[in-house]
Amino acid sequence: MQKRVVFRNRWLPYLLVAPQIAVTLIFFIWPAYQALETSFFVEDVFGFSRNFVWFENFTRLFADKGYLRSFWTTLVFGLSVTFLSMSMALALAVAANRVLKAATAYRTFLIWPYAVAPALAGVLWYFMMNPSLGILAYMLEGTFGVDWNHYVNGNQALLLVIIAAAWKQISYNFLFFLAGLQSIPKSLIEAAAIDGASPTRRFWTIVFPLLSPTTFFLLVVNLVYAFFDTFAIIHATTNGGPADATSILVYKVYSTGFVGQDYGSSAAQSVILMVLVIAMTVVQFRFIERKVQY
Amino acid sequence: MANLKLDRVGKTYAGGVSAVENASFEIADGEFIVLVGPSGCGKSTMLRMIAGLEEITDGDVQIGDRSVNGVEPGDRNIAMVFQNYALYPHMTVRGNMAYGLRNQGMPKPEVEARIAEAARFLQLEPYLDRKPSALSGGQRQRVAMGRAIVREPSVFLFDEPLSNLDAKLRTQLRAELKDLHKRLGATFIYVTHDQIEAMSLADRIVIMSAGRIEQIGTPMELYANPASTFVAEFIGAPPMNVLPVTGEAARAFLAQEARVPDDLGHVGIRPELMSIGDNGIPATITLVEPLGAETLVHLKMGADKLIMRSGHGLALDAGAEIKVAVEAGALRFFDRDGRTRSA
Repeated sequence: MQKRVVFRNRWLPYLLVAPQIAVTLIFFIWPAYQALETSFFVEDVFGFSRNFVWFENFTRLFADKGYLRSFWTTLVFGLSVTFLSMSMALALAVAANRVLKAATAYRTFLIWPYAVAPALAGVLWYFMMNPSLGILAYMLEGTFGVDWNHYVNGNQALLLVIIAAAWKQISYNFLFFLAGLQSIPKSLIEAAAIDGASPTRRFWTIVFPLLSPTTFFLLVVNLVYAFFDTFAIIHATTNGGPADATSILVYKVYSTGFVGQDYGSSAAQSVILMVLVIAMTVVQFRFIERKVQY
Repeated sequence: MANLKLDRVGKTYAGGVSAVENASFEIADGEFIVLVGPSGCGKSTMLRMIAGLEEITDGDVQIGDRSVNGVEPGDRNIAMVFQNYALYPHMTVRGNMAYGLRNQGMPKPEVEARIAEAARFLQLEPYLDRKPSALSGGQRQRVAMGRAIVREPSVFLFDEPLSNLDAKLRTQLRAELKDLHKRLGATFIYVTHDQIEAMSLADRIVIMSAGRIEQIGTPMELYANPASTFVAEFIGAPPMNVLPVTGEAARAFLAQEARVPDDLGHVGIRPELMSIGDNGIPATITLVEPLGAETLVHLKMGADKLIMRSGHGLALDAGAEIKVAVEAGALRFFDRDGRTRSA
């Protein structure tokens, strides 16, 4: 039996892949090219004319303190979201893996937040933490005496979007961690128990190292998510404010281009982001995938 | 070194399913005990209860005169070799062997010394810095044993350790295991479903069926005087012929016996205790299986089928009519419930 499909018609295979190629070209390659091209121009506000300026958009960006601060914000935001969502998800997965009764119910509930649209997740946290009517803000003030006002306090605003973005990603990480935990043979844990390791030690010396392929995969996915996929949450919760305290790089692209109407700079910023994504992908494939083999 | 005592041990799972019922036996210090039985008979559960991996729901397990119910597996001074070896895949052979010792907080030089000794003992020296994935099945098995040996436990537990290996390696490692037991002098408890392993390794066999202990005894005791038809048919290859007392074959055998107990259900006879004679019970050969050193002859007596073991060079074919002679005292008697009865 022949396992490979052989097309007799020369053009049919090309026709079959054409839709996918068209989608890629129109929605990915063309905009990317446009961004690259626009990043070399300065355009007037009304879009009547534009001048080719070589790398001026880039040099101005790197001289801009606000932009460099956004790099720092993005780093803090990205690492915090990744760490928070991954550690919470791992804790929940370990707990769910031990539950025998109603395990499916727990799993279903834990997966729900992933189905919530990012903007809705943002609004949800916006209402809960709202300084004047939010229930959580009220409880923080009542129980811990924390004066919560993310409209004024930039650090609190950053914390809010970090929590909202992390909460949204916990479900996704939970699913992968749970699958990873379930693929670890039970006899390994039992062997470690007989070898006199306490449950905590068993986790850190056996379970955690064996989860490392999952962990590294999620690390990259979560960083990419935090860097690029959290626009909606930030837009719905803090609008990047106060005073740009929650303006991560992706948000800056939007605010520079669509609010500030500076298309050249906005395009230059998206080119920088593009380079970042490519670099992260290379890191994932070249280093991490190779390193976690055991 | 320790003796073991199981006192009316039972295991009932949360759903009410009973895996082991009322199991009691004692194991002397340094004894090699094999738990044997068909799959699902509760032998693995029993071993896991001794190891502390499975909670005991009834009775008491004592290791070295200390009740260990509720004692953590790591505090029972035992080591276990798993069927799938359960080697830690992210650690080297050395790391695998050192893990249990490090957990005890043993100083590094002593850990190294023990690993070196075990590696020499098991011929694992060239592989100490390899990961388990770079080893063959037999080598992995040795590492699993090495991991158990370095801890110098008082009791070794083995859960079907040879069943993942091919037949040749199995025979070789079986001999090594027996040798290991002799050299270490520790108590061994070994679970298997393979009656040949049980016969060749054990000082005493505990044979189980459906969560209950059927019989405890030395291999030869079990072979010669099975306590039930289950044991008779489980031990020995080919097994004992167990014939219903109402059949023609059983009646013919019993007719030659001077003293026969009453209330019989079955009559048993080992294949090698029959031979072809000038006079005896008439039978028809249905199949001849020459195995080299011996020949298995399948017989038919009326409606009953049985197997006879004969020497090599049998010059008969299927269809031949023969007379079967029986050695004196060869018959075993069982009642209607399959329990043994003496004449």
